[in-house]
Amino acid sequence: MPIIVNLDVVMAKRKISSGELAEKIGISQANLSILKTGKARAIRFSTLEAICRELDCQPGDILAYVSDKCEEEVLR
Amino acid sequence: MWNNRRSVLLSQFCVLLFSAVLLAVIIFAYSLVEWLISFSQAQLQGTEMYFFSTIYLGSLPAALLLYSLFRLLQRISARQMFLPENVDLLRRISWSCFAGSAVCFVSTLYYFPWLLVAVPAGFMGLIVRVVKNVVALGVELQHEADYTV
Repeated sequence: MPIIVNLDVVMAKRKISSGELAEKIGISQANLSILKTGKARAIRFSTLEAICRELDCQPGDILAYVSDKCEEEVLR
Repeated sequence: MWNNRRSVLLSQFCVLLFSAVLLAVIIFAYSLVEWLISFSQAQLQGTEMYFFSTIYLGSLPAALLLYSLFRLLQRISARQMFLPENVDLLRRISWSCFAGSAVCFVSTLYYFPWLLVAVPAGFMGLIVRVVKNVVALGVELQHEADYTV
């Protein structure tokens, strides 16, 4: 999928664990793991808002668009 | 008090009842065919083997249909509806209807009233196929909902 989730990068910068973030934004650790691993099909605005609030960042810091061509080149 | 669980139980009971009827038809096929031939006004003497072929061939998709229906109802009672396995079961049910319809349709060559079974069976297969398409879409939506964070 061309949307890349950089949540783990931002979490590492803020030095926050998955369990702590999940508790603060009010979702389960399993769902946070789905989001971190890029398996999520959609993200609610309320979840995105909570993540940005707790990590003090912008949606663009968490989500990025990479075209299929770029993705293929990176994989090569 | 009537509720969904009891409704599913009633459906399961009906499936078992139809299974018993199917088993009875298979066991007493000889007597049934003899009775039909003696009762019918049409000249059906000598067609016994054709009747047996229709009954035994038709009972295969009917048995598969009833088994699939029972499995589907078990999943529904366990509140597992929008699963790819259920789509497969509905596909099997639909094809069983079409197979039964085909057997009955070929049987009209020696006994025309089989058409009264062939047409409704084919139509039922079509309806189940549409339901299968709806459930397949439901599976996609369920998947989307499960992976919405």
